[in-house]
Formats: sequence, structure tokens, C-alpha cells
Amino acid sequence: MMHRTLRRLLLVPVLLALAACGRAPAPEVQPTPAAVQTPAGPHRGGTVVIGALADIDNWNPYLTGSSFGDDVLSLLYPTLAVEQPDYRAHPPSFTPGLATSWEFSPDRLSLTFHLRPEARWSDGVPVTAEDVVFSWKVQVSPELGWPSAEIKENITSVEALDTHTARFHFRHSYPYQLMDVNDGPIVPAHAWKSIPFATWENVDWTRHSLSAGPFRFAAHEPQQQITLERNPTYWRDGFPRLDRVVWRVLPDQSNLLVQLKTGAIDLMEAVPPREAEHVRVHPRLRLIVFPDRSYGYVGWNNRDPLFRDPNVRRALTLAIDRNAILDSVLRGYGRIAVGPVLSTMWAFDRELRPLPYDPQAARDLLAKAGWKDHDGDGLLDRRGKAFRFELMTNAGNDVREDICLLIKDQLQRVGIDAEPRFVEWGAMNSRLRRGRFQAFVSAWREGTQVDLTPVWHSAPPGQPTFNFVGYHNPKVDRLLDEADSKETIEDQKPYFLEIQRIITSDQPYTFLYEGERLDGLNRRVQGAVINDASPYFNLEEWWVTEARQ
Amino acid sequence: MSPTLRRIGRRALAAVPILWLVVTLTFIVVHAVPGSVADLLDNPDLSPAARETVRHRYGLDQPLPQQYMRWLEGAITGDFGISFLYRQPVRRLIARTLPPTLILTGTALLLDLLLGIALAVLAAARPRGWIDRVTTVLSLGVYGMPTFWLAGLAILLFSVQLGWLPSSHMHSLDAATLPAARRLLDLLRHLILPAGILGLAGAASTARYVRAALLDIRQSRFLLAARARGIPRRRILWIHALRPALLPLVTLLGLSLPFLVSGSLVIEVIFSWPGMGRLLWTAAWARDIPVILAATLLGAGAVIAGNLLADILYVAVDPRARRSS
Repeated sequence: MMHRTLRRLLLVPVLLALAACGRAPAPEVQPTPAAVQTPAGPHRGGTVVIGALADIDNWNPYLTGSSFGDDVLSLLYPTLAVEQPDYRAHPPSFTPGLATSWEFSPDRLSLTFHLRPEARWSDGVPVTAEDVVFSWKVQVSPELGWPSAEIKENITSVEALDTHTARFHFRHSYPYQLMDVNDGPIVPAHAWKSIPFATWENVDWTRHSLSAGPFRFAAHEPQQQITLERNPTYWRDGFPRLDRVVWRVLPDQSNLLVQLKTGAIDLMEAVPPREAEHVRVHPRLRLIVFPDRSYGYVGWNNRDPLFRDPNVRRALTLAIDRNAILDSVLRGYGRIAVGPVLSTMWAFDRELRPLPYDPQAARDLLAKAGWKDHDGDGLLDRRGKAFRFELMTNAGNDVREDICLLIKDQLQRVGIDAEPRFVEWGAMNSRLRRGRFQAFVSAWREGTQVDLTPVWHSAPPGQPTFNFVGYHNPKVDRLLDEADSKETIEDQKPYFLEIQRIITSDQPYTFLYEGERLDGLNRRVQGAVINDASPYFNLEEWWVTEARQ
Repeated sequence: MSPTLRRIGRRALAAVPILWLVVTLTFIVVHAVPGSVADLLDNPDLSPAARETVRHRYGLDQPLPQQYMRWLEGAITGDFGISFLYRQPVRRLIARTLPPTLILTGTALLLDLLLGIALAVLAAARPRGWIDRVTTVLSLGVYGMPTFWLAGLAILLFSVQLGWLPSSHMHSLDAATLPAARRLLDLLRHLILPAGILGLAGAASTARYVRAALLDIRQSRFLLAARARGIPRRRILWIHALRPALLPLVTLLGLSLPFLVSGSLVIEVIFSWPGMGRLLWTAAWARDIPVILAATLLGAGAVIAGNLLADILYVAVDPRARRSS
């Protein structure tokens, strides 16, 4: 399950690769954030229609399990502060949300928020510190079992000092206190606190929907359409500019694309790379490209005798032409990935370079490890056993399936036989968790908080982990533990740099590409800033140049 | 009690253990396939307490036999539990998904029968005549074409090129503001492509069945007798020959009941129709066991009810079956 700011690491099993990425020389490619400007001035009114592959699963922000649900509900239930997508040079900063300001106590053990006095729920009741306290109770309620509750483990209590002042108390100080407090939206205490947590799953939340954000609930036809309308009690004068936002649910990607081109929808998120060119040259559309904090990789099972030697893993990376993968599968949308931290993050080691594509160097390294073609059958072998393995990915993901086929072809040139196997994603997930695989192609979506522990720290058997490949380097474990104990982000950075250097040298993964998201937007929509924080980051500022036909 | 009623009662009773067997097997299968919700809970970002809460809430902390008994008990009382994915009662999900499916599949079935029978009669009137040849080629062609391909072509032609029909959804964007009659019209416009394609695909095979049955019957003595009595050809074909020729169709009709409630996944996905096919498909991907089990139960119930219905209809249309029972 995912939560609002996507801080932690998320496994993106199926759709991620569709949202792959951009080195393409596209004139419309914009830096993040991507602002779309026109000469005519902004004005109020109109409807924007957004295409959605899936429907919202639940109208309670603490029951939704999808990032789409999070994105839609963030327009109704805002957070105290707004995380900015400015994490390239430093950890993300925050701007005022429901709170106008906040300050730490000198010992950094408490954090006080001053709420916006003019903020009101859509029923006219003011947003108060009581709502902040109630939201925290929701987050940590064992009855509700909010998946991200662990984020709040360092918060000992929350108190309402007065109507518009709320204070959080911490167990100890650490780098991400503000981020942790801000995670999870503020929900209305006056309307919801009388509903026992144990019955929340039986409640029809559309009947209890309120909003302190720019839009409020108007209608929901399941699997068909979601309609939000302007919230007249929204605190920001003159906003939102749009009267309505409508999501049309359409699970078929080709039909979604047809509707984008015919103007039936204004925004299509995650245009597949193979269709990007059609959107880019379409006179009515704009292609918006931005890095999406994801990277694709081949995970080598480090416990498997074939891949136990780091030199062999390095050789495999040298033998895989990642540029060819980018060009042919991702149509140039993306960059070659270097290591476990994305090149767009503040913690990235800018000295690091990806290993080159060098099949000869790969052959030499493999020969040194004892892999040679002794029997002349074109395949490398050692002690009578050929270098042959199964390369798994989730069936139905075209991008990953194509990558597997390309890798098979490339490895064949150095005498390695990789046998692609496409497995239903639930089954693949199960095999990964049990370590029953040799190699697989997948992708991670990273949070804005640099947290390398779940994927790279060794885990004792039986303990949940994302370290599927069984990577185990005691030095990395120690550095991760030490980084975790630091009080400031500045103190953590040197550890992250060293960890990256070790992991890139060990190559437990072959890092393939860093993803980019492609969105198609109708040119009648103006003022849109679409970025990886949320596609609806500044939806309240969007406006349209002409009415819908 | 009449023997017919007794027979139907017996069949209905016999259906209970079959239904039980189907849902029990489904329960075993969904728990045996690799990858489960419990797997997804194996997430290092989840606190052990949260993991336990979720396990407990969905009864995943109980031994499998106990989970099974709990589910069976719920199913009998009509409580299928809470969906893992939507975190809402499964009953609510099915209650809002079934009507759109029935609208789509019901219309498609009607079209299938009307078009299929009409084409069959036209074709059988002059076997190997030009109508027969054209309908044979067309129906085999449609029958052989995958529905997604047919749907794509139809969208391209009727929605993109001609702009006559909407390419998705049950209603237009602002249908909620329309008066009832216009809203119904709006629904019908949206129904044309998905129901048309489903119906056309069905009609292709119906036409083949009925045509074959009609050609068989043409040689019967009672038709010869009818002709001898001077009854017009058209009347013989439409009244005297068609009724016995529809007998195999009665069985087919009963067997199409599961299709009515389970919907058509491909068409529902392409045309964004909010039906059962999509519900089950999403549930299968997400290992949403309560939804999978409830939908299977519904499907199995429909198969059994369909067979029963076929039996009853058969007795109703064929006097010989009445006598033998």
C-alpha cells in the first residue's frame, strides 16, 4: 500500500514500466516542474477531464490503498505543509498548507504548527487543532491498521494548545521529523470521530465526504466517473479556477489514447513510450516529460552460485547494452541508471559513472572467474556446467518483456544463455520473497526520503525485506545502521556516498535505466504544473482557454 | 405435485452439493496459487503491529479450515466479507456491478437471438443461394475474429472516423443532469457498440446452429405434409420448421445464463463498462480472495440455474420431453 508523499520505497509491479522515460530530443520536453503558459490571462470556470486507468478504491484517505486514491483525496483532505519536488540539491522543502507556519523547540523534541484561521471544512466548520489531533489518532489506531503507521512511531503525543495551534512531541530528534509529521492528510474530527474505527470499512465514505481543499466531492459512478467541484469554502481567494474536475475511468490504454486525441479527455497520465511520438506531434496535445523517481534493474540472486562472485555480476553488466535498451524499448525516454540512489536526488554521488558496455571486458572478467567455452558449443562453461539461467519478469508488462528478450540476445554474444520467463506478477512476487529465482527484471519507485535499508540491508531469514537478491555486505550493513542513527541529513550524506560506491562496485543489480513519466495534455488546459509529487500538484491553478465541445 | 415439478425440485436439490463443491474447490485453488495478500503484507515498511492487525481483520491469522468455515457461513447468510482491495463489503461491490452487466449481456443476448435466427431462416430458405453464401462467409468471418479486434475496428470507424457513437462508458460526461428520457437515450447510444459487438459475435454462431437444424428438418415428413396441404413456403419455414429447429437453441440459451451474470471481460475493459468481468479481473490480479470467491459462487450458481432453466424450457417447448418425464 502507498501513502501520500511516497517517501518510502515502493514496489511497482505492473504499470511502472509503462510510465517509462526521456532522453528523446523532444522540443516539448520540459524541466521539472513543467509550467505551461499562454498569452491569454487565467480566468475562472470550465471543466477538465482526466483519463484514469482505474477507479478510486475508497473515499477515505486512510482506507485507500492506491496512489491514485491518494492523489484524488489530497484535493479534499490537505496536509499541514506541502512537500516540494525540489530534492535535487537538498532534501525536499515544505511550503505552508493547512498550517501557515511551524517551529521546532530548541531541543527539537517538539514541533508546533499554527493553523490557517480562515481554513474551513466544506460544511462551514473551521479546521482546528482538534482535527490535527484526531488525524494522528486515526494514523496510529491499531484497529484501523493504517499501513504507514510505522512512520509515526517516534511521535509520542499530539496536543491542541488552542483552536489553531497543535504540538507534536517526539521520542528523539532525527532528520525527517517534519516529513513524518506531515505524512497523512488532516481529516474532519467533528464529522468522523463518532464513527468507531472498527466499523470504518463498512461505511460508505461518499456520504461522509467533506473537504478543506480546493475541490469537494460531487459524484461518483463506480468504474465510470469521479466528479469533484469547486469548494466554495476553500481558504485561498479566487481559487480553484476550474468549476469541475472529472475523471473518466477507462481501463483500456489504447482507448484512453484515442480519447486524448479526439479531445474527450484532457489529460492522460503515463503515455506508453511507443505512443509518445504520436502525442508529441499532435497539434492539439502537449507531451510533458519528467523524471519519475523510478529505476529499472536486473536483480541477480546473490545466493546463487552463478552470481555469487561480484566479478561475474560486473561482467554481466558490462555485457548488457543499456543504451540499446533505452533507445529501442523506452524510445530514448530515460537515462542509464548508475546505482541505488537516483541521479536526480540530492544524495546521489555525482562522481560515479555507470559501467560501460564492453563485451570484450566482460569476456575477460568471466574467463578470469573460470568461465570459458571449453567444449566449443558457443556457451561458456565451468567444471562441465554451461552458464545458463532463467531471467524472470512479470507477464503482461511489454517493456520488461522486451528488455528480457534484448538481454538474452546481448548475453548470447558473450556466450551466456539467459532464458526469459514471464510469470504472473503475484506468482513472481511470491518467488522473489522466497528467493526462488535466478535473475529478474523489475523496477523500484523511490521515495523522496533516501532510505536504502529495506533493499540493501541484509535481513535474517523470515524477516520481511525488499532485499530479494540476498545482497549481504557487512560493511554496507554497518554504514546503513550508522547513517540511520545520525540526527541531521548533512551527517547522513557521507554514509550514503560511500554505500553507493560499494554497491555500484558489487553490482548486486545491473542498474538499467532511470525512468521518466510521459503525460499527454490538451493545449486548452493552461497553468498546469505536473511533476512527480503529484499530477494534480497545482490543480487549483489550472484553467482552460476554451469550453469543452 | 406434477412429475415435472418433482423433477425440477430434485434437480434443484442436487445442485446444492455441486455448488458447495465448486466453491470449496475455488477456495482451495485461490489459496494454493502462489502469491497472496499475506505475501503483500510481508513488507518491511509495515510495522509488525499493523501487519498483525490486517491479518486479524481478514481472518488470515486463523488456520485455513477455520477461514473456510467462516467464509462458508458468511456465504450462506449472504455476507461475503470485506474486499481486501476496496476495503468495502463485497456485497455492495456486487450489488452495483451486476446491473450494468445484466444490461450489457441481456441486450447482447437479445440481439444474438434475433439476428442469429433471422439470418438462419434467410439462409435456410435457399440453401447454397447467394444469401446463404454471404451469411456463411460473414458469420464464419465474425466468428473467427477476436472480439478485441472487432471492438478496435468499430471504435475506429464509428467513434473516431464517423463520430457517430461514443467509444466508452455507460453515460456521457453530463448525463446526470439530463431528464430521464434523454438519459435513457444516452445509455442506449453507449450500449450500441459494446452490446452490438457481443451480440454480433453470438449471432454468428447462433445462425450456424439454427441453419443446420433447419436444413435437417426440411427433409422431415411433417413438412412434406404441410407443403402437400398447400401451406405457403414462408409460413412453413417461419412457423412449422422454426419451432422444432429452435430446440437445440433452448439448451444454448440456458447455458448462456452464466454469461449474463459474469459479463464479458474484454468488452467491459475496452468500452469501460462497469461490469462483473472487470470486477473479477481486478480481484484476480490483486488476490482479492473475498471478491474472487463471491464472484465464483455467483458464476457457479448461474451455471447450475442455467442448466435447470434449459431443462424447464425444454419440457415447455417439446411435448415429447413432457411425456417422458
